[in-house]
Amino acid sequence: MRRTGSGHAALAALALLLVAMPAWASIEFYQTTDRTEVGTEDVFQLTVVVVDPPDNAQVQFPSPEDFEVLSSSQSTQRSIEMSGGGPPVIQTVRKHVLLMRANRPGTLTIPPAVLTADGRTRRTEPIKMTVRRGHVEPPRSQASRQPPDPFRNFPGGPFGRMPDPFAGEENEEPDDRRQQEDVRIPRGDSDLFLRATVDKKQVYVGEQVTLSLYIYSRVDLSSVDAVTMPKLEGFWSEDVESPTQLTGEQRVVNGIPYRTYLLRRRALFPVKSGTLSVTAAEADITTGFLFAGHRVHRVSNALEVEVKPLPPGGPKGVSSAQVGQWDLSLEVSQTRVELGQPVTVKVILEGAGNVKNVTPPRLEVPPALKVYDPTTTDKVMPDKWRIQGRRVQEYLVMAQRTGTFTLPALEFPYFDPRTGRYEVARTEPVELTVEPGAGGVSSSPATAAPQHVTDAAAEQKNVLTASGLRTLRYQARFEEPAAAVWQRPFFVPVVLSPLGLMLLLGLVGLVRGRLSNPDEGSRNRQRAKAARKRLAEAEKLREGSSSAFYGEVEKAVLNFLEARLHAPVGGLTRDALDAKLTAAGVDAERRQRVRFVLEACDAGRFAPGAEAAARERILDDAAAVMEGWDK
Amino acid sequence: MSAITAILVATLLGQAYYSPEEAQLLFQQANESYLKQDYAAAREGYEKLLSRGFGGPDIHYNLGTTYLSQGDLGRAVLAFERSRRAGGEGPDLDANMSMARAQQLDKVVGAAPEEPFVQRVVSATSGNLVAWLFLGTWLAGFAFLLLFRVLRPGNRAWAAVVGVLLLAASVPSGALLAAHVWVHETLHEAVVLAPTLRAREFPKEDAKVAFEVHPGLKVRVMEETGRYVRIRLPNGLEGWAEREGVAEI
Repeated sequence: MRRTGSGHAALAALALLLVAMPAWASIEFYQTTDRTEVGTEDVFQLTVVVVDPPDNAQVQFPSPEDFEVLSSSQSTQRSIEMSGGGPPVIQTVRKHVLLMRANRPGTLTIPPAVLTADGRTRRTEPIKMTVRRGHVEPPRSQASRQPPDPFRNFPGGPFGRMPDPFAGEENEEPDDRRQQEDVRIPRGDSDLFLRATVDKKQVYVGEQVTLSLYIYSRVDLSSVDAVTMPKLEGFWSEDVESPTQLTGEQRVVNGIPYRTYLLRRRALFPVKSGTLSVTAAEADITTGFLFAGHRVHRVSNALEVEVKPLPPGGPKGVSSAQVGQWDLSLEVSQTRVELGQPVTVKVILEGAGNVKNVTPPRLEVPPALKVYDPTTTDKVMPDKWRIQGRRVQEYLVMAQRTGTFTLPALEFPYFDPRTGRYEVARTEPVELTVEPGAGGVSSSPATAAPQHVTDAAAEQKNVLTASGLRTLRYQARFEEPAAAVWQRPFFVPVVLSPLGLMLLLGLVGLVRGRLSNPDEGSRNRQRAKAARKRLAEAEKLREGSSSAFYGEVEKAVLNFLEARLHAPVGGLTRDALDAKLTAAGVDAERRQRVRFVLEACDAGRFAPGAEAAARERILDDAAAVMEGWDK
Repeated sequence: MSAITAILVATLLGQAYYSPEEAQLLFQQANESYLKQDYAAAREGYEKLLSRGFGGPDIHYNLGTTYLSQGDLGRAVLAFERSRRAGGEGPDLDANMSMARAQQLDKVVGAAPEEPFVQRVVSATSGNLVAWLFLGTWLAGFAFLLLFRVLRPGNRAWAAVVGVLLLAASVPSGALLAAHVWVHETLHEAVVLAPTLRAREFPKEDAKVAFEVHPGLKVRVMEETGRYVRIRLPNGLEGWAEREGVAEI
């Protein structure tokens, strides 16, 4: 008996083996990592690739104790190659991606992955990893290194030489995408954490840095109850974005899909140089829904920003707010205006930078124009998180006299961090013509400042009020500092001069009296003088009694004669007196007059009632007796 | 301004004496500097004229206006007060003085105690007029007495009467003049210049500060000791302040 059945079975088995052998032999099975040197805080990617796996192939991933597998994913790609007249070649690539993190520093080994199919087993090569403590910055070449292209064996394959349609996408990605590069997944809170990022680590003083605060979550969020923003010492900050509702966005961090929620976004303008710190932000977040939710507290990372001082050689007085890109312009409501009408002048500073802190240059006007304090308005229009807008200072200018005046050009120096150079924004001078008003109001040189009025009727009347600084005097009357009259040199001597004069006269008289000899002649002269004085006393008695008057006149004449004759004459008869006078050489006429006066006195004393004319004549005759005696 | 004018002005500035024409030129130059808002140059010109003896109310007024434009309130008020003391008057001086006082930081509250009778009489009369009145009556009185002595008896009594009356009239005018001299010598007014002038209770550095005054306030300097002066505010408040903080009008 022939055992044909068993022979067929063996033949079939051999044929199957022959068919299966090439298929098993074409299987590629390997594993790679995106980097070989990592930190304990870094997440790296392990890629296990199976090319043309059998249908029942099972891959066992390495599960070493030294590494933590954060996530795993699987993808399969299938390609068909048509070549010549031959059958199409179908290739299947199954890729397993594991995100892992080392548990300890040291030189660790990722054990081989195992592929099991049809009772056969294949293993990959183990991979040695150098693990350091903390975070290790991946070298650019290593960081960008991609796993081996599983289609690399396709000669002239459909994707082999085609340009990557997304090659340039990285350069065009928004800034927030670049900010995400800095995100590190914290150990322990990897499902829900808070991250603060800045778009620039190194800026100039006054240059904008954008701070963003995100929630990264792999769980459902219910609400964010409280957010404590970081302390921003050394920064001027402006809100850019502050969402009121949580809006999630899918992002993949180190291969791990997260849902991110923006909490706050602020523009920071450093006002001083050095290393400035942005402290950690904090937030209370409720996860889950309804009764299943619970509240957690998360703290973000702290940041540091290196702030460089403005380079030397800039214009004087450039402040930290004068950084950015600015344009300066001047707008005048009208260049021809009637006296008394206001002119609105706007100084507009527009551009990117710290709009709310920048100060436009002050409007300078000729003295004939009065400029009031400006009102400032801001309009901030953030563009892709960049603070930009315009700051307008509006001046009210009132002319104080007619004429043509020039508002001078304005300059605004600033530092442009893009070019790293100082620039100057300028305006052109503006000519302003002020004409007399329609009502014939002429200019007032007394600098009468118009009052800003709101009443329409008053505006037409060109109200002028006398406020404002009066102008200079153009003619000067030069004078020495005037001293008081009593302080002038002449005053005291002049006041004392009468006293001095009186004193001098007295002294002179005294000296003369002492120096002169009291001889007989002088005594007689004094007696004659006394007689004249007595006669003067008699004049006062002209209206009185006759006896007193004539007695006084007689005594005066007799005293005079005694003084002149040097002998007493009282009691002499008229003849004896006449003889004495004759002996003294007195002429006959004077003797006759003496006799007449004495006899008239006798008659007047003893015969009262004489007329006033007679008394006057007696006085004249007595005076005539005394006059001319010494000649 | 041409270069020749600039050289001429510079030459004039270096001279110790100015002719009236040169002084006028400097005055105009200072005015032009003011119009160009070069207040420092304007102020220098006016002060140069003052230092050379070319004073007067107009110079002080312009100097005060320049200081006011510069925002130096203390020196502005000082110059305006000096202008007024030099006989200056006019609406422009009043207006600028009012503007300067309106900018003063200090507000003196409370009524001033009544001044002594002598000071009130002095402030109500002109010192120069009183001095001329006294001098005239005094000299005329003696002149009539001298005339009485010269005249012959009989018709000279009137000279004695007039002389005595004039001398009698010179007595009250002399007393008033003496009051003016006393007030002038003992009473000094000043203006605060220091940004913040502390008035202490005693003329010592560690004495308690009674109050502070600021530029532009007019005070009265009562007495001096060391580097302190006792100032009195218009409401009678007194304290000791450093002498450098005030400038006498």
